[in-house]
Amino acid sequence: MTAFVTLRGVYNTPVFRDQELMASRALEQFLESVERRAFKIAQLGLRNEDDALDAVQDAMMKLVQSYASRGSDEWRPLFYRILANRIRDMQRRRTVRGRIMAWLPQREDEDEEFDPVAQAPSAEPTPARRLEIDEAIGALETAIAELPPRQQQAFLLRNFEGLDVSETASAMGCSEGSVKTHYFRALETLRARLGEVI
Amino acid sequence: MSQDLEKRTREVLEESTARLDGRTLSRLTQARHAALDQLQQPVHRRWSRFVPAGAAAAVAVLAVVMWSGPDRPIVESSPVDDVDMLADSDAPVFAEGDDLEFYEWAADEIDT
Repeated sequence: MTAFVTLRGVYNTPVFRDQELMASRALEQFLESVERRAFKIAQLGLRNEDDALDAVQDAMMKLVQSYASRGSDEWRPLFYRILANRIRDMQRRRTVRGRIMAWLPQREDEDEEFDPVAQAPSAEPTPARRLEIDEAIGALETAIAELPPRQQQAFLLRNFEGLDVSETASAMGCSEGSVKTHYFRALETLRARLGEVI
Repeated sequence: MSQDLEKRTREVLEESTARLDGRTLSRLTQARHAALDQLQQPVHRRWSRFVPAGAAAAVAVLAVVMWSGPDRPIVESSPVDDVDMLADSDAPVFAEGDDLEFYEWAADEIDT
C-alpha cells in the first residue's frame, strides 16, 4: 500500500503530468498530420470507406498503446507498418469471405441510406475545374487500386506519404532494393495506364 | 517525364484527400481521440490491469515461503503409525554408536 501511494505520488507530480501532456500533444499532432493520407491509402487498398476507417483507427490505437514512448521520429514508419499489416489482414479476410459469399445468392443492400449532408465535399471548386479534377482523381485512384498490393504500398508510401526508401522498407517489412523495384514497376504501370489523363 | 508523373499523381492524390467529406473527417477525429484517450487514463488504472497477476504471484511466493521456512511446523505421526512401528519386531534398531561394520560383516556371513 505504501509503495502504491508513493508511486501514485510520483506520477501525480506536476513535472510528470507536464511530460505526459507534452507526449500526448505530440502524438495528437502526429496523428492529425497523417490521418487523411492514411485513410486515402487504406481506402485505395481496401476500396471501402468503412473498412479504411476501421484500419486507420486500429493503427492509431495500436501506435498509442504500444509505441507512444518511442521517439517521435519512429512514429511514422511504425504507424504505416501497423496500417499496412492491418490492410493486408483485411484483404486476406475479404478474399476468404468472398469465396464463401460466392456460393450464396446475392441480395440488394436496402439498409444503406444516402445522406447528402454527410456526403457533401468540404470544398467547392468551380464546375469546370471540378470536372477535370474528378476525372483525374477517378482515373488515378482506379489505376492505383488495381496495382498489385506491394507495388501499391511502395508507390503510396514513397510518392504520396513522402517516406524515404529506408522508412518505406521499414514500413513494408522488406529490403530497400525491393522497395525500389516495387516503386519502379508501379510507376511504369501507372504511366502505361494513365497516359495523357493526368 | 517520370518526375512529372510522380509530381502530378501526388498533386491529384492531395486534391482527393483535401476533398474528403465531413463524415469521414469526423470519424477520423473520433478515431484519433479514442486512441489518445488511452493516454489519459490515470496511471493507477493503467497499472491496475497488472494487479490480478501480481496478487497471484504474491500468494504463490507466500505459500512457498511458509512451506519451506524454518518455522514450518513438524508433522506429527499419528498413534496408529507408532503402534505399527513398535509391533514390527523384525525391524532392526540402529542407535547412535552402534558398530555398523559388525552389521555389514554379519550380513555378508549370512549371504555366504
